[in-house]
Amino acid sequence: VLLLVGAAWAVVLTQPGAPVPAVGTVAERVARLAGDLAGAGREQQPAYADPVRLLSVARLALETVAMSVLAIGLAALGALASVPLAARVLTVGELGPGRWRTAIAFHVARAAHVVTRSVPEVVWALLVVLLVPPGVLAGALALALHEVGVLGRLGADLVDDVDRAPLRALRATGAGRFALLGYGVLPAALPQLVTVLLYRWEVTVRASVVVGFLTAAGLGYQLRLDLSFRRWTDVALVLLTYLLLVWAVDAVSSGLRRLAR
Amino acid sequence: VPAVLTPTRPRPGNRTLLTALLLAAFTASVLAAPVGDLLRGGGAAGALLGSLLRPDLTAGFLWTVAEASAVTAAYAVAAMSVALLLGVPGALLVSGVLARRPLVRMGTSAVARALIAVPRAVHELVWALLLLAVLGLTPLTGVLAIAIPYGATIARVLGDRLLDVPQAPLDALRSTGASPAQVLVYGRLPLAARGVTSYLLYRLECAVRAAAVLSFIGLGGIGLQVEIALADLRFERVWPLLGALVLLVLAVDTASRAVSRRCAA
Repeated sequence: VLLLVGAAWAVVLTQPGAPVPAVGTVAERVARLAGDLAGAGREQQPAYADPVRLLSVARLALETVAMSVLAIGLAALGALASVPLAARVLTVGELGPGRWRTAIAFHVARAAHVVTRSVPEVVWALLVVLLVPPGVLAGALALALHEVGVLGRLGADLVDDVDRAPLRALRATGAGRFALLGYGVLPAALPQLVTVLLYRWEVTVRASVVVGFLTAAGLGYQLRLDLSFRRWTDVALVLLTYLLLVWAVDAVSSGLRRLAR
Repeated sequence: VPAVLTPTRPRPGNRTLLTALLLAAFTASVLAAPVGDLLRGGGAAGALLGSLLRPDLTAGFLWTVAEASAVTAAYAVAAMSVALLLGVPGALLVSGVLARRPLVRMGTSAVARALIAVPRAVHELVWALLLLAVLGLTPLTGVLAIAIPYGATIARVLGDRLLDVPQAPLDALRSTGASPAQVLVYGRLPLAARGVTSYLLYRLECAVRAAAVLSFIGLGGIGLQVEIALADLRFERVWPLLGALVLLVLAVDTASRAVSRRCAA
């Protein structure tokens, strides 16, 4: 392991880039950035004292939340459709029909989850903006494409952890696979699936700023504009809103999780 | 009957309310998004999907893919090494397992939890933007951008895992006069090892994905090559790059499953 870490550092440090600045320079830059963000030494009014901008940032925050909810909802629909196929229990496990078609569907669903999960939201965003006009929908699709893989993987693991005994009992009464799914698997796994869904929603909100940066939506796009125009107090406002939003979403999510128990 | 076999269910929450809230939120978000956008656009769809059938697999480009994958893997491993340096001491503070007195334990734990909440809340690429302004475009910027939020997350999760171990073996150790440090080394660490190892490998998987998109601030790796390919409209070059990323993630995933199976056996 140490050898691996050493090799990794060797590769990283030989990457092209500016030399690492001295500690003094870094401290100086931190101080200047902090001053810029707070709006020190400027004539104009800082952004966070301007009601118009506060209002527009609040609207963008709402847009960001809408994007993340849309994304996680689409991902949940995708996962709900694919998890029964990607879980072992009703496909290639002992309760499966033992047909080769089901086995193929199982492997295809697994592979689809691995591929969508491996590609980060940011790369999906780069691809999605080629197909869909930039905006909330493009951002939501990019987030959803990654999340469907994550939810699919976690969901399949949860479904496979469901206690088999009640399923066998159901099967003994002559229940078919869809009956097993609806009356056996889903009731047992759904509360945990919802918990995972809410937890991933928090992650999606965090990522939605970065994705919005690329798909021209929500707080992320505002951050991009403000950074490129060096409007530092606006940058500070957007970052603060982002932090508040993440905290608010975490609070809402943990409240909803309590309902799922 | 042992208590394990008769689980007492916590009072169920209001699931109908939850369902209604989740459905309402999703419907509202669908209405808020201009879904009609989907019908416009799509100009590049043909070219993008068509290129899927004829990916660029020339030797020269595959070498570029391999190089970019190595850079991404290196960033991920380097970032994880720093994240561990930050996260492990952080976990001890968050859990407060080394403190003798309950008051000291609760104090350090509360302060540590409050301190790591901020680095955890900020996405690694937002960290990258901030560090870029301070450090400039150095490879270290990329490593720290991943290491800071990941270190905080590792501290939090590791700390919780150290507390969530079964208490009986710990009490047995304590009854022999073991100090908190000895309880940690001989009790908590072995008890938590399996979960911690698979969690750390999962974080490494996330670090690989995060490292792949350090091109966001202009650093090298798979993401940079994807951006170059898209900018040149060489769509056939995108797919081998994504394939390499999938293979990298799959490799870490396989290692993680192998470890958890070996620990289970």
